[in-house]
Amino acid sequence: MNRLISSLLLATALTAGAALAADSDMDALLLADHASAPPAKASDWRVFVEGAAGRTALRGPGTNSGSILNQRLSIDVQFDKSFAPGWRAVFADRLDINWHNEPSRQNSVNSFKEGYLSWAAAGDQLFDLGRINARHGVAIGYNPTDYFRTGASRSIVSADPSSQKKNRLGSGMLRSQTLWDGGSLTAIYSPKLADQPNRASWNPDWGSTNNQHRWLVAVSHQIAEGINPQWLIYGEEHDATQLGFNLTKLLNDSTVSYVEWSGGRTRSLLTRALNEQGINRPDDSAFRNRVATGLTYTTANKMSLTLEYQYNGAALDKANWDALGRSSPLGYGLYRGAVHNAGDMPTRQAWFLFGTWQDAVVNNLDLSAMVRFNVADRSRLSWLEARYHWDQAEVALQWQRNSGHATSEFGASPQRRIVQAVVRYFF
Amino acid sequence: MMMRHLKTMLPACVALAGALGFGALAWAAPNAQEILAASDAVRNPNYPFGLTTTLVEYRNGKQTSGSTLAIYSKEQANGGQFRSLIRFVAPARDANKLMLKSGNELWFYDPSSKASIRISPQQRLLGQAANGDIVTVNLAKDYQATLAAEEDIQDGDRQTRRCYKLALAATTPDVTYHNIEMWIDASNNRPVKSRFYTESGRLLKTAYYRRYQNNLGVERPTETVIIDGLDPNWVTVMRFSDYVKREVPETWLQRDYLPRFKPE
Repeated sequence: MNRLISSLLLATALTAGAALAADSDMDALLLADHASAPPAKASDWRVFVEGAAGRTALRGPGTNSGSILNQRLSIDVQFDKSFAPGWRAVFADRLDINWHNEPSRQNSVNSFKEGYLSWAAAGDQLFDLGRINARHGVAIGYNPTDYFRTGASRSIVSADPSSQKKNRLGSGMLRSQTLWDGGSLTAIYSPKLADQPNRASWNPDWGSTNNQHRWLVAVSHQIAEGINPQWLIYGEEHDATQLGFNLTKLLNDSTVSYVEWSGGRTRSLLTRALNEQGINRPDDSAFRNRVATGLTYTTANKMSLTLEYQYNGAALDKANWDALGRSSPLGYGLYRGAVHNAGDMPTRQAWFLFGTWQDAVVNNLDLSAMVRFNVADRSRLSWLEARYHWDQAEVALQWQRNSGHATSEFGASPQRRIVQAVVRYFF
Repeated sequence: MMMRHLKTMLPACVALAGALGFGALAWAAPNAQEILAASDAVRNPNYPFGLTTTLVEYRNGKQTSGSTLAIYSKEQANGGQFRSLIRFVAPARDANKLMLKSGNELWFYDPSSKASIRISPQQRLLGQAANGDIVTVNLAKDYQATLAAEEDIQDGDRQTRRCYKLALAATTPDVTYHNIEMWIDASNNRPVKSRFYTESGRLLKTAYYRRYQNNLGVERPTETVIIDGLDPNWVTVMRFSDYVKREVPETWLQRDYLPRFKPE
């Protein structure tokens, strides 16, 4: 009897469930009947305005007191148009106007990011001439094969690696590319156009990106299903040829792995930094490796987590890094400046952790978190962001903390903590 | 006398009718895999083509987002799966971003950073393109179909259709949906409705294919209504337009072409 009642209840529940599903399906179809969705037209322009306001807590000598207020207004323009069969014009520029209240000052930085003409001589043979943001590399936090990154960061507005990749100068170059089924060959020549960087607000700053002759050849070819390695050879006026390699692999439905390597005979970063300032130091050229390797794992509930190991064989080891910070403020300062300009790591090893959670808690809210951890001095940069977006606008709240001892990679930063709100509107 | 005769004959008649019925069923039993392949051909041309997909998303009856994708698609040379280049046209914050899908090899390209990032199939599901690219997929290549039933159902236009109900089981381990139930119009092989399931049997989404119109010489669905499996109040309406037969060169369908892609 009990079994009969249970069966009847189960059957009733299933029938009710099916009926509910059918009802919700019908509701959805009714909703769709009234959907108005004219397709949008593609545009050659992408323009946004971004405003930011925040407070930066400063690290004073011996104390942690003091803070300044910052405001920023940015205008970012991208233009990409095919103006004749086989011809294309690309332009990208960004203006950052910054205000710092204590002490009161204002500065503007215009970054002429790209401006080039592209010509397809044939469908598979292309030539580009102008300022081009030529990016190579598959890692997320550190790109040893991104050879044209040196001197490219003119205005840093966020610790987010994606923001730093977007907001940088291209290099003046002539680039040719030949494509075939499953592969390509790229050749780049980037000439010397100026001697010194020019930080004047509206200067195109060729001296930051084109202060020596450089060249690069990159070839990639698919060797098996889903396996498409890239090999690179890079040369510059003041250093020996470097080799590079990029590879990604899908481990399973939710995990991508990657490895990026660059190696070659080169001076240590310290020797290079001092030599650039005219300070003599014995040539310590040796074969040195740079590596970034990691995994990105994505969960079913829209969370993505990247863990990356970073290695720089040209940087200082722990003992020399500690010693430089203690014994030579001048050398330490020059070294930090050169490493920052090169977009490189100051010490041998680091870990990078980056996580995003889309539609976190509520729809359209994205949470991001990042930690950069220096293995040698155990300093770290922590960064959090909550970003809510509509179709044309975004609002974000960002928090950043630099922690570590006074001469560590992140502890030496004068900015101890940054909190800022950002509003962006796309036209 | 008559009744007795009837009683004697009845088992024989039933047996004969059963045999005839069974024989007829066995003779007419349609090949489920062929039905599935024919239904794939209704959704997608078997030559390179482009189309525009417009997505409108609703939560609890209110429109929460809209996007437009331009899709360029081509079957693999050996008659395999579709490979697609997907360009985000709208919203403005995603404009001109690209996604390349070649089997399970997926690349995402952002023209702002010039960075091409390889993503996993699970990561692909994070964006609108998760729905956007289900249009260009050859189910018959990745699934084994069996005929589960033949039944009348309400289609997306609320008409009653006689349909084959197919049960699709993934034949490759790395597909997004491990099992699919699909209802296909028995008279013309048009897809009518699908239900997509995870490996554990959880319903991920229900799709209705509707508003059939002639596109590139075949009556194809110009709208798919997708209902989330967990939250039935989450509805996505996909509209397909601007079907055009066009060349999609092999050289387009690789990572290194992404920074070059600029349709005229």
